[in-house]
Amino acid sequence: MTKYTSLLFIAGLSFLLFVIVGYLPIAENPMVAGKAILGSAQQEVGSANIVTSVVLAYRGLDTLGELSILFAAASVVGLLLGKSYSTDSVKTQKSGQAKEYKQFVVLKSLDLLFPMLLVVGMYIIVHGHLTPGGGFQGGVLLAVAFSMRSIVNPGSDKKNHYSITFIEGFAGFSFILIGVLALITDGNFLQPLLGKGEFGSLWSAGTLPLLYLAVGLKVGAELAGLLFELNGEEERV
Amino acid sequence: MNKMILLIALPLLAAFLIPVVAKFSATVSRLLGPVVLAFVLVFVALQWNVVGRDSFAIFLGGFLPPVGIVFYVDHFSLMFSAIIAAMLLVVWPWGQYTAIRQQSLYMLLAASSFGLVLSSDLFNLYVFYELLAVATYGLVANQPHKAAPAAALRYLFVSCAGSVMLLIGIGIIYTITGTLNIAHLATMIGKLHGLAGLSAFILIVVGAGVKAEMFPVNSWVPEVYGTSSKSLSALLAGLISKLAVVLILRVLLMLFQVDVVLDLLLVVGILGVLSGEMVAWRAKDVTRMLSFSSIAQLGLVFVALSLSGTIGLWLAVGLMLHHLLVKGGLFLLADSMPGSFNSLKGLARRSPILGAIFLIFIFSLLGIPPFPGFWIKLMLVINLAQQDDVLYQIAIGVVLFATVIEASYLFKLVRIMYQKNDENIIKPPQTSTSGMNLLYAKFFALIVVVSMPFVSPISDRLKDMSRQSVNAENYIETIMSQPKLGGQS
Repeated sequence: MTKYTSLLFIAGLSFLLFVIVGYLPIAENPMVAGKAILGSAQQEVGSANIVTSVVLAYRGLDTLGELSILFAAASVVGLLLGKSYSTDSVKTQKSGQAKEYKQFVVLKSLDLLFPMLLVVGMYIIVHGHLTPGGGFQGGVLLAVAFSMRSIVNPGSDKKNHYSITFIEGFAGFSFILIGVLALITDGNFLQPLLGKGEFGSLWSAGTLPLLYLAVGLKVGAELAGLLFELNGEEERV
Repeated sequence: MNKMILLIALPLLAAFLIPVVAKFSATVSRLLGPVVLAFVLVFVALQWNVVGRDSFAIFLGGFLPPVGIVFYVDHFSLMFSAIIAAMLLVVWPWGQYTAIRQQSLYMLLAASSFGLVLSSDLFNLYVFYELLAVATYGLVANQPHKAAPAAALRYLFVSCAGSVMLLIGIGIIYTITGTLNIAHLATMIGKLHGLAGLSAFILIVVGAGVKAEMFPVNSWVPEVYGTSSKSLSALLAGLISKLAVVLILRVLLMLFQVDVVLDLLLVVGILGVLSGEMVAWRAKDVTRMLSFSSIAQLGLVFVALSLSGTIGLWLAVGLMLHHLLVKGGLFLLADSMPGSFNSLKGLARRSPILGAIFLIFIFSLLGIPPFPGFWIKLMLVINLAQQDDVLYQIAIGVVLFATVIEASYLFKLVRIMYQKNDENIIKPPQTSTSGMNLLYAKFFALIVVVSMPFVSPISDRLKDMSRQSVNAENYIETIMSQPKLGGQS
């Protein structure tokens, strides 16, 4: 019975959405906010990548919210997995060491890949205000760089990844600190500071690159922590 | 004025730092959360007079609408901020220091709640709603009860479906109008009252209605409250459900005062009241009974919202505050009343104070004359009677009928509690938190009793605040017509 009701509900909802789509002025949208941003982003924010000016300046609070959602999700995983932390992890560690010889080629190529991933990840984060990319994308690359070994060989390096918790907290702290600094001079939260610089150069768009660096570190630490945790390698508080 | 953003920034900061600080000093990390909440309480109290009769807006990042995000501060949002901070302090997990990340989740919950009552931007509201949702998934799933993960999973599914509908609704509104700022939308209300706009609003109501325990989308309620600790249930039923209503309120009051929408809210409210009370009548233990009665009370809030303008907001806020106090108190009290009805035999004879507090709460919940609950229900019925529509007449009947059912099951419980003690009753085990929660319940009951002679001034004050919040011209003017801010030159 429940099955049919849900089916009926989904059918009704999709029918409704189809009808609504017919009514929407698609392709001739009155993009009021969008056009306003396209017109003024270069003068007001000064970042060559307009998407970045939306993400970090016009809607910076939403980005802070998204970061917090990611943090909440990671905290929940830590909270739930931390509870059932079992003793059989010692066993996986042993078998992990035995496997290490068989995966010689894979592990050595990971070592080669590591610096390259770091460079690419940092490049994408630092140039987020100039080219497509930014903190979220670069942060994922950083997370991959640090957790590759653990993905290939789960349970191999068992240690307390305290540095991850620290980077996570520090990056979140700096994002909010940069936002609050503007309050001192009677500005608004997350108002871009430090002047706009020369349009299109690396030192431009005020505090935006710093914010993106914080976003990148936070996303990277968050995801790496999640991966370690899911591989049963981290015992969090 | 701009400092108002600290309400969001500080709890987020505390949430990020709690796990780090815990490595250095456990004591500091334990105190971080409560200190921030206490600071917020003081801060809001100081802001109360600053707001005065004129509400104000803050423009995040210094970007003027429609491109930037706007916060709108009036007495209504300040009052809710204070309630959020106080309620979180009451249910703060003082004893549970083993899971330090749980405290982070409570702080994220605080930040998102403040965001929900302050923000005037549709997408920003969605972000905060989502943050609130993720934090509650974690808290519900982390309960020691065996069935908690299953309950959390169902809650997750229902709530995610709701979030998607909310997002689709916001997306449709953005496609039609090209803006997300509620004040800006209020200037082009005509565009929204077509078929697409109204369906968008319905999607928003259903999406946010998941947390507001609205009639068709509340299947998660009994299971989650059954497996959660009573403090968490008090938080979810008392506060979080109200915040979802606040989200609906802003959109409803500013953009959708249309007959169709109001009728829809009325029907949803009536069905919620009926279904909630019916199932509560058949419940076999206190938690279940309270969960379903909470669904019914939220139904009443939706009935109140179907009255347009100031009256609707005034009644809805009155009902919400009353429900927050009474149902929050009852859930905290229920910590001392575990198990099925039969195990409660003679409980009130063993501890008369518990019995007395329970009676205070249910008298007010039912609406027996000197208690505040009576005046709210009376005003609701009087104002429903002034409407011409037949639907409103039906609503009066339903409200009164529901009160009868409510009285029937609540007094059934009272009779059990005051029955003569059987010798072979085994006293159910008390949870570790019941002493503290009983104290809070006493405090809540005290507020209910003390507020009795002040019902009239309180309701006048609420009416003033509602008038301020409903005033669309003032709202639009405060947000839209600002001189060019300093910004960055």
